[in-house]
Amino acid sequence: MTATVDRVDGPSTPSGVATVASRVREWAERDPDATAMREKDFGIWQEHSWSRLWDDIITAGHALLALGVGVGDVVSIHSEDRPEWVVLDLATVAIRGINTGLYPTNPVAEVKYLLNDSGAKVHFAEDQEQVDKVLDAPRGDFPKVEKIIYVEPRGVRTYTDDRLMFWDDFMELGRRHRAENDGAVEALMAEATDEDIITLVYTSGTTGPPKGAMLNNRNAKFAIDKIVMAEGRTRDGKNPHPNDQVLTYLPLCHVAERIFSTWHMVGAGVTLNFAESIETVQINLREVQPTLFFAVPRIWEKIHATVLIKLNDATPLKRLFNVVGMKLAGFIGRDRVANNGNFTWKSRLAYAVGNPLMFRALKERVGLRRCRWAGTGAAAIAPEVLEFFMGIGVDVYELYGMTENAAVATLNHHGRVKVGTVGEPYADIGLRLDDETGEIQTKHEGVFAGYWQLPEKTADTFTDDGWLMTGDVGVWVDGTHIKIVDRIKHIIITSGGKNVSPSEIENSLKTSPYIKEAMVIGEGRKYLGALVGIEFDTVGNWALRNNIPYTTYRDLSEKPEVIELVQGLVDETNEKFARAEQIKKFRMIPKELDHEDGELTATQKVKRNAMEEMFADLVEDLYR
Amino acid sequence: MRGRPHLYVSYESEQSLLPTWTQRVIVVLFLFLMVLIPLNGGIEIGERVFQPLGFLSDNSWLKILSRVAIFGIGALGLNILTGLAGQVSLGHAFFMGIGAYTAAVLGGEVGKAHWGLGLPIWIWLPAAGLVAALVGMLVAPTAVRVRGLYLAIVTLGLVFIGEYLFRNLVSITGGSQSGRKFPELEFRWWQSEEPALAFNSDGPIWAPFNWLDWLLGPWINFPADVSEEAKTYLILLVLLVVFVVLAKNLQRTRIGRAFMALRDRDIAAEVMGVPDAKTKFEAFAISSFYAGVAGALLVAFIGRTIPEQFNLLLSVQFVAIILIGGAGTVAGTLMGSVFVFVFPRLVQDFSVWLTETVEAGGVLSSVADFFVSTSLDDPGLVSTLEGVSPGLNVSQLNLVIYGLLIVGFLIFEPLGLYGIWLRIRNYWKGWPFTY
Repeated sequence: MTATVDRVDGPSTPSGVATVASRVREWAERDPDATAMREKDFGIWQEHSWSRLWDDIITAGHALLALGVGVGDVVSIHSEDRPEWVVLDLATVAIRGINTGLYPTNPVAEVKYLLNDSGAKVHFAEDQEQVDKVLDAPRGDFPKVEKIIYVEPRGVRTYTDDRLMFWDDFMELGRRHRAENDGAVEALMAEATDEDIITLVYTSGTTGPPKGAMLNNRNAKFAIDKIVMAEGRTRDGKNPHPNDQVLTYLPLCHVAERIFSTWHMVGAGVTLNFAESIETVQINLREVQPTLFFAVPRIWEKIHATVLIKLNDATPLKRLFNVVGMKLAGFIGRDRVANNGNFTWKSRLAYAVGNPLMFRALKERVGLRRCRWAGTGAAAIAPEVLEFFMGIGVDVYELYGMTENAAVATLNHHGRVKVGTVGEPYADIGLRLDDETGEIQTKHEGVFAGYWQLPEKTADTFTDDGWLMTGDVGVWVDGTHIKIVDRIKHIIITSGGKNVSPSEIENSLKTSPYIKEAMVIGEGRKYLGALVGIEFDTVGNWALRNNIPYTTYRDLSEKPEVIELVQGLVDETNEKFARAEQIKKFRMIPKELDHEDGELTATQKVKRNAMEEMFADLVEDLYR
Repeated sequence: MRGRPHLYVSYESEQSLLPTWTQRVIVVLFLFLMVLIPLNGGIEIGERVFQPLGFLSDNSWLKILSRVAIFGIGALGLNILTGLAGQVSLGHAFFMGIGAYTAAVLGGEVGKAHWGLGLPIWIWLPAAGLVAALVGMLVAPTAVRVRGLYLAIVTLGLVFIGEYLFRNLVSITGGSQSGRKFPELEFRWWQSEEPALAFNSDGPIWAPFNWLDWLLGPWINFPADVSEEAKTYLILLVLLVVFVVLAKNLQRTRIGRAFMALRDRDIAAEVMGVPDAKTKFEAFAISSFYAGVAGALLVAFIGRTIPEQFNLLLSVQFVAIILIGGAGTVAGTLMGSVFVFVFPRLVQDFSVWLTETVEAGGVLSSVADFFVSTSLDDPGLVSTLEGVSPGLNVSQLNLVIYGLLIVGFLIFEPLGLYGIWLRIRNYWKGWPFTY
């Protein structure tokens, strides 16, 4: 991190096509000792330099070659975010293989489906938990898996399955292969083409089984050019550069984290800092103080709710300051939202008072003090949350995209923010709204190569003139920005013939810190009903304050006082909508939704069909 | 990492004494102020002369500060033994005595009534520490056998053994009647030369440091004459800084961590591979070294004293320092020694001020009269009168307050002054949250 500070563009390629792997070589040649990644180990953030990362990638590439992974073969990665994830990802790309990631929360059945569908030859399973998901099933269930590589030996050491291989042995194998076939990986890299598939990103599958979206080198290059290097994205106008810090904590198998971690690293040289686990994100965030931070709405809402509770729980003098500070933040937020995210002299003045008073300390505690760009995407976020963060001076920009177009669709630029929209289309890309349905359609170099081994499904996602159908309905706002209405297939038609977008209502409900999940139903029914799940922490805190004793999640959500609380929130939401869009009845979801129980996808999206089946009695009760 | 105080990329940075630049700047400024105190004159900025804490340059205050430094060094030693390693000791005065008389024998005047070799400070000061450390090692094995109150009794016994020995080894100590003279605070290369640096006499700022005058002369007005007290204070300040750094460093070494493990639970420590006997041995040796050095400095500072100086009261004073300051912390120990020596002076000044207020008359006079007795038939809490008076005299009042403070701290703030500081710091660190 010395001489390259001012250089903001990505490196050029001397030979072969620029791939995510070859870009690492560029950085390693340019600034070998600079830090590429950090991983917390025994309380210390151990640093991986670019040269070490490059060396590891080459060695891992040789090891894959030694295991017989050829061009176009699939390597699957089932792990929390860790340096080995990135090394293996890039090593696969280097030898022209294909990688695919699995969510650590994927249950056995899904692992089986994903490994067999992708036909992975080598499977990386981080620890005993993930190894067991493969080994517990009979060998015949995984006919194609030849090697399982693990990196946490605890508990696995005593296993005798011949498919198992420890990471260190894997790398040793790579070193030996490298000594005998020096240059083999580099030779393959030079042969890479733009059309090489580099990764399969499985869609979350809210409706059917997951489909593997194929992204190639051209898609990756386009995403790096458009998203990482987007003009006017950050507060200070500078593109991401090697001094930037990123906290890597969302699953890397999701296209968003892949772009905001791995592709930011290879494209702009930013440093990745791996969070220890999802539980420690808040602590790690405070340690790392990232300059670029992407989070899904769930995380932003969680931070927001935690902050509000903690501010309220402070000692009297602090609370006095907090009340004043929050008043100021509310004013600044409203003022900035009204002015496309810009300060007016009034809000600037209020900020000058509020910042030393408490915003700065608050941001430091949360870990966003040095944040110069923060983003949210992958789901809708409540405008109130964006307003709050704008108020304390953390500008959170909403962006939109999907796996199938390498996440390149729209983004909010600094100073041109419209809260409630997902922003403007990237410069020079094809993006249109369908005249009839209002569906957003894109056509550019980031559009994927198709679904893995599903040509019919692939054809179904394109219009006759070759535009990608995103399946999201949008409307233009002021002719420049796009607002997402809902998924096409989620739109509810009531028996009265009214078209209702459930997401809007759900998001309005979820604005409250007390509500974690809401699912509006009413397809073919007389009126709308909703299933509501409470946020256990905040409602628990609320119950404590109001002297309501409770034991479990179910007990708490069935308390009459809590139902009354939710009723109040539902009424508040109903005021914002027309009569036909109002929730007449709701029922409490008696358990916390979970990926493993099949209610949520790995990305924490509610599986609507599964929910309606699982809670059929509750749904029926709504219309009795 | 720069700008990210919680992001540690190496154990060195996690353990560094002053991790942030703010802390570094504050410490340097603080030391600068401390050095500036005795240099009458201060910083010249334009026409004006700026000397913060200038009131402390008074000789009586400098003597107090010198005592703070000496007792600070001694208390750091007890803090290592009691605060870090958890070994209660009342024998600190004994080890100080050992150090003092080692210094006396090695550095005292040649011939005459008492033993003395007239060796220079660079021999007698370290030797005082080393001999005390050796004696400490002899005592250590008992600590392996007994702990807690019993260890306190054993070390208490040391003080009485020491007092008896010191009183009777007249050729070394001079006995109870007259005591003896001790080596001077001056630096000589060998026995009989003229001192190269004399910290014990008035005179110009010492020659070897003239370059300081040349370097900082334009900004700082170095006085031509520096008093004996000022020089003594400065050299003691330097020694204190050295010992503070050593103590701070000790805390973050393997030995320091072993001490803390031993303190928290000796059996658990041994299970973790911390050898009980060896670690206690080290704790006593290091602690006694500090005590020996402090003892030698104390007698050199006083000049002449009797063996009874090293009695139980001295030990108790050290215990008070680390209890009031906060056991187990270097900063607390320093705060404790500042408090223990500065507070009595403040009480005295306050009593004098009260008396003056009564005499001056006015609104405050009657309020002040309530506390102060100005004549034999005027009841009051404190009196500045000579001889017998109806109220307490100032030193009695000090003792009362002293006792109350120790009781108060033990009950309300077991972590001492440092605990109060911690609480204040955490209040601001947590801003705007409470947890």
